[in-house]
Amino acid sequence: MQPFAYFRPESRGEVFAALREFAPDVRILAGGTDLMVRLRSGRFRPNAVVDVKRVSGWSSQIVETEGVLRVGAGVTMTDLVSAPSVQQHFPALVEAASVVGSVQIRNRATLAGNICNASPAADTAPPLLVYGAVVNVASRAGERQIPLSEFFLGPGRTALAAGELVESIDLPIPVEAAGSAFQRITRRRGVDLATANLSCSVNRAGEVRMAFGAAAPIPLLVTGTAASLEEMTAQARPISDVRGGAAYRQAMLLVMARRALEVSLGRLRQ
Amino acid sequence: MPPVNNLKDDKPKWVGQSLGRVGAEDRVTGRQKYAADLRIDNALQVKFVTVDCARARIIAIHTEAAAAVEGVRCILTSADLPQPVPKCGPAYDDRPVIAVGETRFHGEPVVVVAAETEDAAELAASLVRIEYEELPPVLTVEAALDPGSPLVQDHLQSNVLTENHFGWGDVDSAQAHCIVENDYTFPMVTHFAIEPHAFIAAPDPDGITIWSPIQHPYVLRRVVATALGWPVARVRIIAPDPGGGFGGKGWPKVEPLLAFLALRVGRPVRLVMSLEETFQAVRRASAKVHARTGFDADGRIVFQDLEANFLLGAYADIGPRVVSKASYSACGPYRAPHARVVSRALLSHTTPSTAFRGFGTPQASWAVESQLNEAAARLGLDRVEIRRRNVPAKGEEFIPNENGADGNWIESLEKAAAAVAWDVPLAPNRGRGISLGLKSSSTASASFALVRLHHDGSASVLSGTSDMGQGARTVFTQIVADELAIEPDQIVVVMGDTSVVPFDSSTSASRSTVFMGNAIIAACKHVQEQVAAIALEVGAGAEVPYEELLRAYYGSARGEVIGLGSARSAYVPGHPLGGKSAFWEMMAAAAEVEVDPETGMVDIRKLVLVSDVGKALNPMQVETQDEGSAVMGLGHTLMEQLLLDSHGRIRNLGALDYRIPTIEDIPAELHSFLIENEDGPGPSGAKGAGEGGLLSIAAAVGSAINQAVGVAIRDLPLTPERIWQAIQDRQT
Repeated sequence: MQPFAYFRPESRGEVFAALREFAPDVRILAGGTDLMVRLRSGRFRPNAVVDVKRVSGWSSQIVETEGVLRVGAGVTMTDLVSAPSVQQHFPALVEAASVVGSVQIRNRATLAGNICNASPAADTAPPLLVYGAVVNVASRAGERQIPLSEFFLGPGRTALAAGELVESIDLPIPVEAAGSAFQRITRRRGVDLATANLSCSVNRAGEVRMAFGAAAPIPLLVTGTAASLEEMTAQARPISDVRGGAAYRQAMLLVMARRALEVSLGRLRQ
Repeated sequence: MPPVNNLKDDKPKWVGQSLGRVGAEDRVTGRQKYAADLRIDNALQVKFVTVDCARARIIAIHTEAAAAVEGVRCILTSADLPQPVPKCGPAYDDRPVIAVGETRFHGEPVVVVAAETEDAAELAASLVRIEYEELPPVLTVEAALDPGSPLVQDHLQSNVLTENHFGWGDVDSAQAHCIVENDYTFPMVTHFAIEPHAFIAAPDPDGITIWSPIQHPYVLRRVVATALGWPVARVRIIAPDPGGGFGGKGWPKVEPLLAFLALRVGRPVRLVMSLEETFQAVRRASAKVHARTGFDADGRIVFQDLEANFLLGAYADIGPRVVSKASYSACGPYRAPHARVVSRALLSHTTPSTAFRGFGTPQASWAVESQLNEAAARLGLDRVEIRRRNVPAKGEEFIPNENGADGNWIESLEKAAAAVAWDVPLAPNRGRGISLGLKSSSTASASFALVRLHHDGSASVLSGTSDMGQGARTVFTQIVADELAIEPDQIVVVMGDTSVVPFDSSTSASRSTVFMGNAIIAACKHVQEQVAAIALEVGAGAEVPYEELLRAYYGSARGEVIGLGSARSAYVPGHPLGGKSAFWEMMAAAAEVEVDPETGMVDIRKLVLVSDVGKALNPMQVETQDEGSAVMGLGHTLMEQLLLDSHGRIRNLGALDYRIPTIEDIPAELHSFLIENEDGPGPSGAKGAGEGGLLSIAAAVGSAINQAVGVAIRDLPLTPERIWQAIQDRQT
């Protein structure tokens, strides 16, 4: 591991100062489950690491306000999947967060970290897209909101500007009845990264929102109906890599789409 | 403790019991000190520098920036070693201790950095700049066989390092009713021991001491001494119990380089390899087997015509032995009136392949067992029945001039079939498969043991076996407890220090229970002879406890009784393997799987293992060894493979994309059964065990998948994508 400066500021102001001082070679440490791997492998060689866990006001809470479930940036996967409010409204997100890494990883990894890492295969990204998540971002200049559908720019790249920090993720609580589900394909049954993953939701009108991962440079959100699953999944642009071939991925999207829709329709009827 | 006594029961009290694993609690609580946990004062930390491709001509090495890093004490290249740079290896002295002029595999050390801290060593290593010209590598069986390919070792005439011809009868004139002919491939896989490979080398007044989690300390001592040009007496190997070896920690790799470095800096040097570096250091030979098998109308094998090409790496390591041993018994536990086996050990610009549980047999077994399944389908025979018709009877010779079948092998087959409910109708998308695996045992090897009966009646056993998790300490304790009639908690097994324990060839080939076990029994008998003589001399009866007897004999100054025992597997000049197989490791495996035909995902619903072990000295240990071995076999069957790019780099380097089975991947039901007819050459009629579990897993699972979804795949691993693709191909 290359030497780097380590900060553990207690105020947002100090965070922003550190981000500015060391930009662009600075990394934020929350759960650290992606960061540590890359620091050790040498893929990340930052000059500084800013640990945000002790920042005053840093939220590890899930709070419901004005039709929105606000998930603080400190909320771990374990916290997320055990929250009754998340279980009630966002079952696909629970399914996805439940298969991120192992138990030990889920005890550390944060939802915010999962999206900031911007892996095309991030398991929580498809359900968050389907649920219309919005990212709350802060910087020295102030605060702004970025719809998740505009957040991912490419593998490892996000719409976050230098000096910006994700503070929470908003999940709009569905106002109309909908059923949703998550599916993924892996190379083994235990802990694995997705060869491809998919989430969908369907409402009483038969409108389907679907998002898939590891099937394009970014997690992709598409819309259609129960009759247009093939057209929807055809919008994917999968590649071949060590985890799977493009043809397999493309075919699995349709398999997952059918299965996820079936589960979603079952949940809609409940 | 109650007083000990030297009245040995005729019936074993401890052997045959599932005594708890000696050291298990330390292993699972983290108290055990593995090699990487050792702290040696004043040690420098080592990091290797490599180039980013398999094969390169080294033009220049720039170390100025690295040398400027605080704490760096030595940057060593081939120029700093004796010239010509010593070459060494367990079988052939063909591996330079550091790359000289050219690299031959990705990960071969070119420069070594030693620094006061790991961070400094790593930073300095990243600052070493190696100018090199990439050269085209040889990466496949086909390329290695192509006479037009570059030579991996340029003093050789070709990349075919060794070629074996085994066989009998007359294959070409044999008349068969049905001939099955196919190609089978087996991937490169790596051992993935959970304990990291870690080494310390330290100069001392007598010469040098090396700490290494090596399975064969005496092989390491020989190889280091040869590299240094020293007598073996000046080299001391300390081998802490390995945390998983599987053959990957069997044979010396980087220890000679560390020895030179330690002597140069005059201080201890320590290297702990990362998992990624370990992937680049040890693997199993991949293989391509062309199999032509002839059967008569009743399904009896008429001939086996096998051509097995094993892809070794850049250096021989123990690879040629893997190839010869596996191909010698490649026809499996079956009669074959005519046989022709041609096998080759091929050099390539890849990680040197080494010993790996099963020692080449899984590669051959995948082909030969799958051939039987296809023949059964073509002849309208049941897959159990076709095996029943070909398995030799107990005592029957199945390889000419070799020890015959040493067990009632049909019993294993029938037991496995019954346990998997072979004849019960299957649910949709389910299938069953069965197969046998056979591995020859250790040939031409020797084990020595010392048993010290101390003045208070406790005992120390000194053994060169390494306990790498297989439970050798436990079994040896049980043997001594019975032989000396003392309690297990009065016995300590001392291992892993060549200055303390007597010679042992290796902890390999499932040989330790048989050979070291017999050596320990002989040592105990030697103790008992001396005890009897002492008793006679002091006029004591056999019921007098050891402590009292030795007190009466030695007086208050105390003394002890030392027994020496040995056992060996005879060296037979002219035998293709140097000696006959002392026993056969025979395994039957049967699986029931469910396949998702839309995704290709395989769910192993049931896996049963039947192992003919002669006698299980510790049934729990044998069963868990077989189960662990079988799960390891599921790895190469379903998911494990090292994927190379065109530069010879491993594309899935590390735990993220090299998949091994997790606890969620093990079968829903996993049962292991033992056949115990006390017909082996070891203690109480034991045979070796522990490798058997994985020998034939692939063919059993492959056959089950075939039955479930109707596709025959001949390339491992049987990944979901590969199964899905085969289903697509069949439908179009």
